[in-house]
Amino acid sequence: MALLSAALAAVVASDRPLPRAELVYADLQPAFTLDPQRMSYIQDFRLAYAFYEGLLRWDNDTFEIEPAAAESWTISGDDLTYTFTIREDARWSTGEPVLASDFVYAWRRAVLPDTAADYAQLFFFIAGAEALFAFRAEQLERYAERPARERTPEAARALRRELNAWADENLGVRAVSERVLEVRLERPTPFFLDLLCFASFMPVHPPTVERFVSVDADSGRIEQRHGWTKPGQFTGNGPYVLTRWRFKRDMRLVASPTYEGAATPLSRTIEVRTIESPETAVLAFETGAVDWLTDVHVDYLPDLVAARREGRRDDVFWFANFGTYFWNFNCTPVLTDGRANPLADPRVRKALALAVDKRAIVDQVRRVGEPVAHTFIPPASLAGYDEEGAIRGVRHDPAAARELLAEAGWSDRDGDGVVENEAGVEFPVIELLCTSGSYHDKVAQAMQSMWESALGVRSGIRIKETKTYRDDLKRRDYMMARGGWFGDYGDPTTFLALHRTGDGNNDRGYSDPRFDELFDAATRERDPVRRYDLLEEAERYTVEETMPVLPIFHYVQFYLVDPRLRGLSDHPRKQQYLHELVIDRTAAGAD
Amino acid sequence: MGFIWRRLLQLPLIVLAVYTITFLLAWALPGSAIINDEGRAPPPAVLEAMERQYNLDDPVVFYTEYLAGATGFRWLASRVGLAEPRPGAPVFDLGPSLRYEDWTVNEIISGTLPVSITLGLAAILIATIAGVGAGVLGALRPGSLTDFATLALAMVGVSVPTFVIGAVFLIVFPVWLGVGAVGAWGSPGDVLLPAATLSLPFAAYIARLTRLGMIEQLQADYVRTARAKGLSERRVILRHALRNAVLPVVSYLGPAAAFAMTGSFVIEQVFNVPGIGQHFVSAVRNKDLFLIMGIVLIYAAMLTLFNLIVDVLYAFVDPRIRQA
Repeated sequence: MALLSAALAAVVASDRPLPRAELVYADLQPAFTLDPQRMSYIQDFRLAYAFYEGLLRWDNDTFEIEPAAAESWTISGDDLTYTFTIREDARWSTGEPVLASDFVYAWRRAVLPDTAADYAQLFFFIAGAEALFAFRAEQLERYAERPARERTPEAARALRRELNAWADENLGVRAVSERVLEVRLERPTPFFLDLLCFASFMPVHPPTVERFVSVDADSGRIEQRHGWTKPGQFTGNGPYVLTRWRFKRDMRLVASPTYEGAATPLSRTIEVRTIESPETAVLAFETGAVDWLTDVHVDYLPDLVAARREGRRDDVFWFANFGTYFWNFNCTPVLTDGRANPLADPRVRKALALAVDKRAIVDQVRRVGEPVAHTFIPPASLAGYDEEGAIRGVRHDPAAARELLAEAGWSDRDGDGVVENEAGVEFPVIELLCTSGSYHDKVAQAMQSMWESALGVRSGIRIKETKTYRDDLKRRDYMMARGGWFGDYGDPTTFLALHRTGDGNNDRGYSDPRFDELFDAATRERDPVRRYDLLEEAERYTVEETMPVLPIFHYVQFYLVDPRLRGLSDHPRKQQYLHELVIDRTAAGAD
Repeated sequence: MGFIWRRLLQLPLIVLAVYTITFLLAWALPGSAIINDEGRAPPPAVLEAMERQYNLDDPVVFYTEYLAGATGFRWLASRVGLAEPRPGAPVFDLGPSLRYEDWTVNEIISGTLPVSITLGLAAILIATIAGVGAGVLGALRPGSLTDFATLALAMVGVSVPTFVIGAVFLIVFPVWLGVGAVGAWGSPGDVLLPAATLSLPFAAYIARLTRLGMIEQLQADYVRTARAKGLSERRVILRHALRNAVLPVVSYLGPAAAFAMTGSFVIEQVFNVPGIGQHFVSAVRNKDLFLIMGIVLIYAAMLTLFNLIVDVLYAFVDPRIRQA
């Protein structure tokens, strides 16, 4: 017993807590990686903007573009070549200057299949990037076919040298001098500057990263271990440096002594805590242990929202998001079990959409007041895109729904309340696929009763665990499935590309020549106004006529936040810059 | 001492069997191990390359390669020049985490296991003191109000789920009374609430074991003899009866300690304790193969080792077992 107690005391004593940081916030999920090229989660991106500085930065209230690591830039007359000059005082946290070649290094690794970046495709707007990806993939394939004795460490290193030589020659990113970076594009890309503000385009410090890189003799791949993202090893060029990171526990950011740019940190120290239980996270906020909770996922959220609306609380904060909650229609003609798919007919899809009372779902199922979605792209989230609200979408109209369904050949011929086709075959029971442990099944139940009463169409709910749901979705083994999408960059194509034939995220199997034509015409179009017109028409076509998805509501982001916290943005793009956040100690408010 | 050797030789075989069964189950999990479920779909070439890198394209290769890394064979081979040298690689390499890409399984386990061990030890400590105390109190006057009260408490401890008790503790202590912190881990006080919650079912079981043992022992002949020769009641109970009554408690403590120290998903969630239990559950959900296999190997080694220690201890307490 004495031994046990002594051991306990020793373990507890070895865990020295630091003094409270100036700002403490909690995420429900831990940071996954601090490698900007591999990030794909919102909490990671938020850290990227604290630890790194890209060439450019958004103003996170207006999403206008401002200089960051680059002090100036020029764009060639044909909109194909961008030339950036890097600030003279831009420094890594080691004190070394930030070089144009650091960007070349980072972007190149983002493209390589070896890095397996989720966002590799964002780089394919750069000349030669897609070709580099294909070159490397083929190079590795040929290497794997060599006999074992020819796959030596030396051969793998030679392969990497060959790759670098090819990239020097063909990739449109080049360091003209130490401070001048030249980027050539595949074709004019009007939102390229917006892309450059995104986390994936942040530079990394090549000597730091290279310390953890080796080539695998067997496969020829560049293996990148991630030891460099830990305190003591980590090197960044942003307003903060990393001083502590304990897995799924906490992370500590301290103002960087070497940072001289415009993103001056207002809070000198920031602590990020991970609290995975949503209820515990709210309690931690209620007791003042955290100043800002970045997501509120509790069943009593509607009560919190009501308390704020009625003025009983001043610490619940929300704003519209750059994302949409929808249900996927399987658009392929034949289901995986060999039956004909009635949802392949756009009229049937539109009829089902017309019969859904989205307002009722938002008011009675969600009860937190999200805006009803008639479009795929959240309105007013992109400057200059459909600002007059001309895309109307499909509004609740059961009579029109019945009519359209009858036009598609489905009506109640024998008066049993269920629709049949001409041959007397009943409309198949629509299977609604969703994931467990959330509100999706409740939304499905609501739609179920709406279709049953308005159309005489029956449906069943199939709840699956996330991995299985994802599998079913990718194999298109479903009829309708819940879905959601958040935009990545400031252009309609960040949403609309999903509907292109063969797109990696086109889980619906939607393939429409007219849509593809409009999309491709927009890609070729040089005039920004005419380009937006084409994209608006493409979106209108999908949300008013062909309906690959049934939008239900636009996501809303909820925070619990100390009312004295300054600097949060309520722009739909949901980008919070940690360097702008500070607790106003002079303001009145609960402590 | 022969039986210790026999048991030591069985150890790796048991662990290998657990490893094999877990591998078969984990491999059969639906879904992809390397796709972010809510993220963007990377190009197919990227997925293929990743699967090749982690041997996810071939179960046999994965099974043997992982075993070679985890058992230290690969490290040994690189030491004697049979394999490529791997600077900085640990002796027992449990691989990278597929989901938490900046962390290796070794880092995750070495960061979270001590937390779970601390919490588990504290819980067992509380459970033993409270359980044995309550059991003795009840056994002294069976059928009395004290006995009934301790039994009732034990029933509550066994039957109310820990997530309910945990939530009640959180709301009563930090939120209402302002004692302790929510979702914190680091200062000594942070251990108390989760440890107390975790200890309840153990304490309840120990109380019942002690009570039964005590009632039995107090009726034994040697107790009557001890009383007859004029020993104080205190001495009779603590020195004579209790010693024999706690034997079943000792044999229960081994598996109980192992169970408590391997972490509890529910308690770690409710109190936000950065322990290993949550990873055991979430690794399966994420199909994080390396993490699943790593934690299972560690668990299997820990549990078999604990059982061995208990058996050895038991042999010292009870000589009959040594001769068997």
